[in-house]
This record gives sequence, C-alpha cells and structure tokens, in this order.
Amino acid sequence: MGGVVTASRLRLTELARQPLTLGLLVALPPVVIELYGTSMESFPRLPTLGADPAVAGRLTGALFAVAFLAGLVGLFQVISAREGDERLAVAGFPHGRMLASRLVAMCVVALLGAVVSFGTLSYRVEVASPVLAFAALVLAAAIYGLLGVIVGTLVPRELEGSIVLVFLADFDNVLSSGLFSLTATVPVPFVGDVRVAETAPLYHPRELFTAAVLDGTLAGEHLAPIALWIVGLLVVAVLAYGRSTQGPTERLAGWSA
Amino acid sequence: MPNISNQAATASQESAEKPVLAANGIEKRYESALPFVGQDVTVLTGADVSLYPGEIVGIVGENGSGKSTLMKILVGALRPDSGSISRHGTVGWCPQETLLYDRLTVAETFELFGEAYGLSADRVRRRRGELADRLDFERFLEYRIDHLSGGNRQKVNLAVALLHDPDVLLLDEPYTGFDWETYLAFWELAEDLAADGTTIAIISHLISERERFDRILELRDGRLHEQTEPPQARSSAHPGGE
Repeated sequence: MGGVVTASRLRLTELARQPLTLGLLVALPPVVIELYGTSMESFPRLPTLGADPAVAGRLTGALFAVAFLAGLVGLFQVISAREGDERLAVAGFPHGRMLASRLVAMCVVALLGAVVSFGTLSYRVEVASPVLAFAALVLAAAIYGLLGVIVGTLVPRELEGSIVLVFLADFDNVLSSGLFSLTATVPVPFVGDVRVAETAPLYHPRELFTAAVLDGTLAGEHLAPIALWIVGLLVVAVLAYGRSTQGPTERLAGWSA
Repeated sequence: MPNISNQAATASQESAEKPVLAANGIEKRYESALPFVGQDVTVLTGADVSLYPGEIVGIVGENGSGKSTLMKILVGALRPDSGSISRHGTVGWCPQETLLYDRLTVAETFELFGEAYGLSADRVRRRRGELADRLDFERFLEYRIDHLSGGNRQKVNLAVALLHDPDVLLLDEPYTGFDWETYLAFWELAEDLAADGTTIAIISHLISERERFDRILELRDGRLHEQTEPPQARSSAHPGGE
C-alpha cells in the first residue's frame, strides 16, 4: 500500500510538472462546452434530444470534454512512462500497485476535469441536481480513463493511440447523443437485445447526467450498466497492463540487441 | 589501478562456489508481428553463461550480436524462447538507455526505486548519499532527470542499479557519456564492489582495458565464447567454457 501512495504522489508530481497539460485541462472544457452549445443553437428541437438544442449541446460538450480528457490522461499515463515502468517492474515494483498508482493519478486528473466542466456548465445551464450531475461526469470520466489505459496498453504509441481514442470518443458521443434515433438492436451476452446506442460507453452516464441536470432525478436504472462498464474495463485494464509490463521491449520497442 | 590483485585473489578463492547467476541454452528469436513487414531475426542460439561471486566479466560482441537482449533475459526483463536461468541473490540492472522518469527529480527517482527494492526511507537516503558522493552527482539531487546532461543521467542510471546493494550487477554500456574522472571513479567503485563479493557483468562493444576483467566472453553467432587471451593483471581462476 505504501508503494501505491508513493508512486501515486510521484505520478501526480510528474503531471503537475507539465504546465501545458494542466493548462489544456482547464482551458479546453469551457471551449468545447461553448462550441457544442453554440453550434447546436440553430438546430430544431428534436424529440430524441429531450432538451433545448443549445442546452443539449452543452450537456454533450461537458460529457465529451470530461470523458475525452480523462481518456487522454489514461492513455498518456501508460504510454509516456512505459519504459520506466518496465524497469520499475524488473526492480520489484508489483504490477498491480503500479497500475493502481496510474489509476489514482488518472482519477485525480479526471476529477479536476469534471470540476472544470461542471463549473462551466453551471455557469451557462441551470443544473437541477448539482451533486448527481457532478457524479455522472465523474463516472463518465472513470469509464474513459480506463478506456484510455486500455488503448494505451494495446496501442502503445502516442499518435496511433490518440487516433484510436479520438475516433472512439467521437463515435461514442454521436451514437449516445440522441441525435440519431437508432432502432436497430444488437445481441449482448447475458443481457439480451439492446439498441445500438445503448452499447456506447457514454450512453448510460449521459442518461444519468441528463436526468440530473434537467430533472434533478436519479435515473437509477443506469447505475448497474455503468458499474458493469467500469468493472469490465477495470478487469481488461488489469489483464492488458499486467501482460504489457512483462517483457514489453520484446513486443513493442522492436529489436534492440 | 586499485585493488586489482586483491580482487583477483578474492575471485580465485570463490571460484569453487556456485554461480550467483547461471543461464543455460538461452535461445531468442524476434519475429515480425505482421506478415510482409520487417523480418524475423534469430539473436541467441543457445547461450550459456555462469557468473561467480566477486568476478568482473566483460561481455563483448559486434553491434547487433544480441548483447543487450542477453542482458535483458538475464535480468528478467525479457523472456527467452527456451533455456533456463537461475539467480541466487539480488540483481541490479543498468540498462543501456536511461529508463527513468524524465519529470521526476533524482531524489524522487531514488525514492521510487527504493520502494521497488523494498528499502526503508532511511536506507534509501543513506545509499543515495553514498552513491551521489562516489559518483559525484550530489549537487544534482533536486534536478529533474530531463534537465541532466547525458553523463549525469548515466550516473543516476547506474546509481539506481546499485541502490539496493545487489549481489549481481548487470551493466549495459555503463560508462557511456562519462568523463575521464567519472570513468575512473566507476572502475574504482566496481573493483571495491567486486572485492566485497559483488559479481559484475559489463556489456561493451569495445573493451580497451582487458586487464580490468576477470573474464571476457564474446557473443558470436548467438553463443558466448570465452576469449582465450588472458587478462594481463587479473589472473582469474574461473572456469570458462561459457
């Protein structure tokens, strides 16, 4: 446990020494939220949106900003420190603790992103239940932070990993936004047929977030799927990360004799 | 050259002991992950090596002969395709590249690796002080790794490998970037460690001072061959044949 505390503190110290990253973390959410809101102002009110287009745009922007930033932090947490982690693992630092320290650092940054996004949204939109809305943002950040860790582990290159994450987040955002009413269903093991939109990672956090902001209610039926996403992604992240730090040079850095 | 004769004597006395690190029949082949991209390369084809307490062994070979691959396998950073490795004691690894965290300071780097080695905070501070004094980087303890010169970064890279006072030191081109004084300080430290029973294996593609080594192994065609030319000053009694 002591190792996790020390490593998490040092991970956060590393992050704090990247002023550009911190600056973007603070500056980007307001820009994204306003861009989404402004660009959707001219939209007609669609029955699938459930809110005024400008408000729906700002909700989408807030969710996208917090999720994507968390995803990027998760991605770069894994990629940028890969070689150092390899040596630290060889020196005896347990893989589980190493991943835990990465996740702690990612969560702290995700919380910061959620605070900035929530603050910006609150300034422009009346939030019916601030606590629930903030919690929904944090859950969205957690899902994407883990997705970032997984993408960074499986595609351990900054450019390629970022591209994968951009397309994933963008597609997810559109799919789950309600802009398109997709009626097609897909079979999901142990769950049954679900609408395509519901398979998007952000779908359930979005429903939770929208209900909290607009109605001030807890859309409890979405909690279990969100928990399922987080637990499932955590398991995949642990497996992928554990495998990647056992001889990563062999697979990733090519041949260096 | 200090302590060379003492060290050789120590090594001779201990030659009858069991090796602290032994590898047998190590094979390694890098295969291209994608078809039609890159090519498969066979690096090691049955390398054997045994390292005994208190000896300093040089591992030489041409560029691309597989020296770093062998070291990564010996230290456990890379899995061999076949073969066995036995380690008796703690191992310190100084990789060719400084695999450290650029935005941490030198002191923070020691703190993190101290956790990895399972050392107490007091012991980390003590060892950090000793190594910084010995390798002359005390004034850089609060510098970030990415703000250090290449030579100072290499000193920290080496010191991290030495932090837990390991039984076996595996060093991959450890003096790259060192100035002459640091190079001499490195050898003085290595000889002191060997005199205390630490086994040291040093990879280099160029060994100019053969007398500093008890044995020199050449990696050729995927196997290790002991060079027959005897070291001038260090008359090691270790059996070769690796």
